[in-house]
Amino acid sequence: MPAAPPDNDVLWARGIVKSHDGTPALRGISIGVREGEVLAVTGPRGSGKSTLLGCLSAQLPVDEGEVWFNSAPVHTLGRTGRERLRRDRFGFVGSEPHLVPELTARENVALPLLLAGAGHKAAYTAAGEWLERLDVGDAARHRPDRLVQSQRQRIAVARALAPLPPVVFADDPTAPLHREAADQVLRILTSAARSHQLTLVLATHDPELVRFADRAVALVDGRLTAPAAPVPRGAAAPGTAGASAVTATRR
Amino acid sequence: MFYLRLARGYRVSDLGRWLLTTLAAGLVAAFLLRSLGRAMSDPHGGADPLVRLLWCLPPLVAVAWFAAVAARSVPARRPARIAGLTAAGAGSGRIRALIAGEVALACTLGSVLTLLLFLVLRNDIAGPSLAPDLGMGVPLPAAAPVTLLALVPLTSGIAAACAVPHPAAMPGARVHDRTGFAAWRIALPVGLVVIGAALELIALRPGAAEDGRPIHLPAGLGSTSTAALGGWAASALGLALLTGPLLGWTGRLLALGRPTPLRLLAGRGLTAQARRLGPPLAVLTLVLAVVLTTIRYWIGTPDSADALPAVEACLVLGCAAAAVVARLAEVRTDRRAVTGALLRLGTSPRLLVGAVALRTLAVGTTLLLTGGATAALAAAGLR
Repeated sequence: MPAAPPDNDVLWARGIVKSHDGTPALRGISIGVREGEVLAVTGPRGSGKSTLLGCLSAQLPVDEGEVWFNSAPVHTLGRTGRERLRRDRFGFVGSEPHLVPELTARENVALPLLLAGAGHKAAYTAAGEWLERLDVGDAARHRPDRLVQSQRQRIAVARALAPLPPVVFADDPTAPLHREAADQVLRILTSAARSHQLTLVLATHDPELVRFADRAVALVDGRLTAPAAPVPRGAAAPGTAGASAVTATRR
Repeated sequence: MFYLRLARGYRVSDLGRWLLTTLAAGLVAAFLLRSLGRAMSDPHGGADPLVRLLWCLPPLVAVAWFAAVAARSVPARRPARIAGLTAAGAGSGRIRALIAGEVALACTLGSVLTLLLFLVLRNDIAGPSLAPDLGMGVPLPAAAPVTLLALVPLTSGIAAACAVPHPAAMPGARVHDRTGFAAWRIALPVGLVVIGAALELIALRPGAAEDGRPIHLPAGLGSTSTAALGGWAASALGLALLTGPLLGWTGRLLALGRPTPLRLLAGRGLTAQARRLGPPLAVLTLVLAVVLTTIRYWIGTPDSADALPAVEACLVLGCAAAAVVARLAEVRTDRRAVTGALLRLGTSPRLLVGAVALRTLAVGTTLLLTGGATAALAAAGLR
């Protein structure tokens, strides 16, 4: 058995190796994510960011290495265990919204809450509140195909945040958005994470967006190139301004 | 050559589609050649040759229907192929032509195989029982079989080309399905059903026995009155057209009130897919209703069963069922991204399977109602 992961790391990985049908994606990555921090994973396209997030968020099984969440092993979990972990502990925003097309925006956001066993009224109320916070309250009753891409992406962000999972993974969430909308979405994501002490792992190809993070690591060709470099918190401090805007209480 | 290369990359589902199209086209060709053989053996057969040719129409339509639905599913199920063809410079028109050509080729293959069999059997191999069907002893005019056999690939190919919508033949294009139905799409079938039921009631009124039964039905089904046949036809058409909207409403009913995730996913999914699932399911239900009513009549009336309609019924049923399978495969591939997103959210596969099962149950119940009504009206008209 390996040494137990450090106590203050909510997520911890050691030597993870992962390949897609023989194409190596991750070649031995060790990383620790501290509780409540916003960690940016940067790197160009194809550097393995998405795969790393997939491995950390219990979507992809690792080929080699270990992943721990809250001092419990993730890499040994079976399919059902990983599903439960994703449902109860993790939130995920991808570069595409991937909403369920036949459900309205509100139902899409309420779905993870309903899946986790929340009551109908509580789930829909929370969904409505999150949609309001992300400026898509008007779209609550519309289906995704009647909305524009930036609205859909905000709904996806609301869906990931609504259950207030301890860890939120965002895999290039601003890819389909314009500059302005991207900044706003990231500001809401990071401020929600800070005000609710959620841990946010943010993958992005845009080095500029690192300013939203507490810490950044760079990934090139499946390897970490730079050690976790702390970003000075006062530099941009986007969270402090927006934190008051997000005031939902943690269930 | 191109199609041969394509065929090398085929998987089981594609090969199955090819094989089924070839087989069905071969059977239709057999029907056509039989009517030709009969006409050659008996050149003065009166109205019979036309009736025999008309008998070939249902299987021909069935093959074209299957070809159309299967071709419609190709862009959704093989996006890589469409992307590759587009990258190679093929426009949406040419892609449609390629898909149609593939169908036509499969049909030609089946037809030619049947023609070969026909020619071999004509060569004094078949016994005297088959002689009139093959037109043995009469010289075969070359143009006749060629014209007849060109019919199958032509209709199927055209149907396939028309079925693939232009935007779907471009890579990355998502054809957004509109949910819901226009007012006339509901009013028309409801009107047809009401008119049909009224006509049927007139035909079944107590004093209807004196009306006479002037219409002789094919397949040994006896004769019936004009009102009964017209009423049945109108209501069957209406019920078939109503299947799509009914499926949509069933979905709404499933997700009514405060739905659990299971009911929500099952119901909304059904409502969203009603437009696409409706037509093939309606056709299958209609065919099943007709075939089962005919079988019931055959069982109840001795010496009425006939081999030819039975073979034809099998062919039409097979094509209708295969069309449903093709459409289901298309819907399933189209929803792969959504299923992936749901699984990523932590939805258990068991819940998704449960939603599909619930949806299937709801669809089955709806189809049982429409099919049952169609069959009951048909049985009432036959009595």
